[in-house]
Amino acid sequence: MAGLVTTFGAGAMTNSIHEIREADFLFVIGSNTSEAHPIIAMEMKRAVRRGAKLVVADPRSIWMTTIADRHLPLKPGTDVWLLNAMAQVIIAEGLSDENFIAQSTEGYEALAERVANYTPEEAEKITGVAAADIRATARAYATTRKAGIYYTLGITEHTHGTDNVYALSNLVLLTGHLGSRSTGLNPLRGQNNVQGANDAGASPIFFPDYQSVGDPEIQAKYEAAWGCSLSSEPGLNLNQMMKVAGSKIRAFFIMGEDIVMSEPNVAVLEEGLNAMDFVVIQDIFLTETARFADVVLPAACFAEKDGTFTNSERRVQLVRKAVEPPGEARADWRILIDIARASGADWDYQSPADIYAELVHEAPNFAGISHERIDSEGIGLQWPCPTSDHPGTKFLHEGGVLRGKGLFQAVDYKPSVEIADSDYPLVLSTGRTLYHYNAATQTTRSAGLPEKQPEAFVELHRKDAGQRGISDGDLVEVLSRRGSLRCRAQVSRQVRRGCIWMPFHFADSRANLLTVDQGDAVTGTAEYKVCATEVRLLAAAAADDKTLFPGAFWGEPGGATSSAT
Amino acid sequence: MSAPDQILVDDQTLKFCPGETILDATRRAGCSLPTLCHDPRLEPVGACRSCLVEVKGQRRLMPACKTPASPGMQIETRNERVLRHQRVLLSLYLSDHVGDPSECEDGAPCELHALAKDLGNLPVLVPLQRKHKPRADRNPFIEFRSERCIACARCVRYCDEVEGVNAITLTGRGLHTTISTASGISLYDSTCELCGGCVDVCPTGAMAEKMPLSAGAAPERELEKVRTTCNYCGVGCQMDLNVDRAAAAGRGQVVKVTSPPAGTAPSDGNLCVKGRFAYDFIDHPDRLSTPLLRGADGNLHPASWEAALERTAAGLQEVAKKHGADALAFVSSARCTMEENYLVQKLSRAVFGTNNVHQCAAT
Ligand code: FES
Repeated sequence: MAGLVTTFGAGAMTNSIHEIREADFLFVIGSNTSEAHPIIAMEMKRAVRRGAKLVVADPRSIWMTTIADRHLPLKPGTDVWLLNAMAQVIIAEGLSDENFIAQSTEGYEALAERVANYTPEEAEKITGVAAADIRATARAYATTRKAGIYYTLGITEHTHGTDNVYALSNLVLLTGHLGSRSTGLNPLRGQNNVQGANDAGASPIFFPDYQSVGDPEIQAKYEAAWGCSLSSEPGLNLNQMMKVAGSKIRAFFIMGEDIVMSEPNVAVLEEGLNAMDFVVIQDIFLTETARFADVVLPAACFAEKDGTFTNSERRVQLVRKAVEPPGEARADWRILIDIARASGADWDYQSPADIYAELVHEAPNFAGISHERIDSEGIGLQWPCPTSDHPGTKFLHEGGVLRGKGLFQAVDYKPSVEIADSDYPLVLSTGRTLYHYNAATQTTRSAGLPEKQPEAFVELHRKDAGQRGISDGDLVEVLSRRGSLRCRAQVSRQVRRGCIWMPFHFADSRANLLTVDQGDAVTGTAEYKVCATEVRLLAAAAADDKTLFPGAFWGEPGGATSSAT
Repeated sequence: MSAPDQILVDDQTLKFCPGETILDATRRAGCSLPTLCHDPRLEPVGACRSCLVEVKGQRRLMPACKTPASPGMQIETRNERVLRHQRVLLSLYLSDHVGDPSECEDGAPCELHALAKDLGNLPVLVPLQRKHKPRADRNPFIEFRSERCIACARCVRYCDEVEGVNAITLTGRGLHTTISTASGISLYDSTCELCGGCVDVCPTGAMAEKMPLSAGAAPERELEKVRTTCNYCGVGCQMDLNVDRAAAAGRGQVVKVTSPPAGTAPSDGNLCVKGRFAYDFIDHPDRLSTPLLRGADGNLHPASWEAALERTAAGLQEVAKKHGADALAFVSSARCTMEENYLVQKLSRAVFGTNNVHQCAAT
């Protein structure tokens, strides 16, 4: 999010989802689109049917690679090398858009100098992708007008995630592939309202609409609007919060997140949570994190409340209440008002429409959007939408880069913080599967879904499995420097040699016991995609002994084991 | 009347765009034509013959869904000949279908019965009473009811052209053509991704959703549809929650999810397996229904809202007093609404005085 704000001036998909089908070249990197975003994948399939060229850069052979013209199976964490080499090819072969660079960008010289040594031949040694493939991809991208780049967590969930986004932005700026239909740079958001949560200011450094907390003018504006004095000190990002939980951070208010499932290196986090003075959890289920709570507040799910979600293409859409929440559960917005009032504030909102109206009042890019307008027009509105008669914006940067000038950000490859060694020779990446969603608090409670994928598994290459005497379906133990867990082995053609892959959905095999909690310097997003591990076959006797595995919560999948009465 | 972009439909002059079919042009003008095998997301095949119209100069009736509009075309959509064709065709279809509409529409509404009702007074033919082998499929979501299949192939084409997995196919010949998987395997063992698009596009309930049927849910036409935004990934598909108002002791219950019409942004009326089928968590018995407070015994106990809110405010204020506001951290959620995220950051900043507010998916 922060990466694109820096380079282009807006942190969102530059294009609309519907435009994907009209693209002529699609570069998909770090996105298992058909599993994580099936509807986006449908649009891509449509484009490919029409004759568009598809290049997929991903360490694994995923479904999308089966319809791709080219698969670049790069080693995990080497994205900057690949992307810088593409930039090198574009510059060296004179394929860049010189007019665009001259008129609409800054920082070109520094970039050109930096990437000069990133030749495809060198890149091949580091990334494992053939130099010829890198060249061909760079050429095709640079010479196709309707060329779109699509990425997701595979790009951002690294300690150098922001660098990856910068390296992608550089390709866009070099070629001027920005500001028209089907042409641009598109982060696909993993959760329903990632875009909206950021737009609304749930960020340690931004008020709503990416207005900086450190900017005195903005601070004054919000102090006037809210009638109180505000701190200009940037807050801690999530990764920093988790690391000082129990020391510098003494109290948590946690809404709708199961952090002991979703955060990395969870064994350390749990120690921190044990040392907290006070923890409030607001959720729809008794989550794993609720084991550490002093107060648990029962909330409403999306079907039980009104409000808006903003999707990846910046479209603000209505969520409508269909049914009443169970028992005494309340909508989160009501609970938040109640807490504020109990804490002495005089909040007085009658409805989510009221709250939204207050939000957009100080947020120029959303000022033309209201619940009433979305309801009466029958379709969500895409920001920027500055006035109530503005139709919304299908693709960004049409009349010029929003930032004024697009900013080249020269970046160097930094190895991931943990690389494979002789003790832990296998590189683990984690991800989501089609049939489950994040902490799986919802999907493991849906009748059909657990049946299709009832338990956690680790995918590993046939040869790596063979070396360790592991066959498909065996119970194995996966270990990293931070913890261990057990699950089934899935011997697979999908992963490269030396790499393994696990979904992170399952409470009884929490992949995040293994992962690294080092965060990206800018966003704090942790490195879920690279950590060093080893896999061992479990002896049959050990396989029956559940006490061997301290990190596992044995019980219902995803179910509560806390001491609630 | 020979402007390069005009056709004459039932004495009405209509404009068309290059590449449009007769059906596209008439639909855009708001005239209705019966269709069964047509779906705007799919290549037209002209299989069901329900959209036939008379085109001047053509001896045979032409399928509007497949015939490109051309300048000066003169078309009749409602004359005696077209209507006679529609009646005979519908009667034939119905002679091999569940005759009683209320029995047929136990799940989704049946487009065949709807067309029959529009035409009114159809000749009743002797029911065909073919023998059907019931086809059990162990997947949890999608049921094959081949006795209702009219072989329009909407589902097969959707599975191929939109979802791109080719999991279902038409099998058998002639009268016995019906819907199945390649070599009859379960959808579970096929390439199927269980998106349920086949259920959505089926006009006659031959591809049906299992869960509401086996739960004995009220038929779709008796349910209230609430348009909302899906709560899983960041695409923001629009969906209709189908609510039984009286169920769950008057709280109302979501008994199925259906997709809006093709063309609805942002997802063109498509949904994935999670959006369409993973809704039963809403009514799951594990849902929290009362506030809980950790007691002196170390366990969580049910409590009143009053007590819980008081404890929340006091707990946060105490820590802020002792260690400063920056000892508090607020974790908001990309699962919750814009409004709720706005309130969390305002709570953190304006009420408690710290910028320590973030959520799990900042990227
Ligand atoms: S709709 Fe035209 S033939 Fe079926």
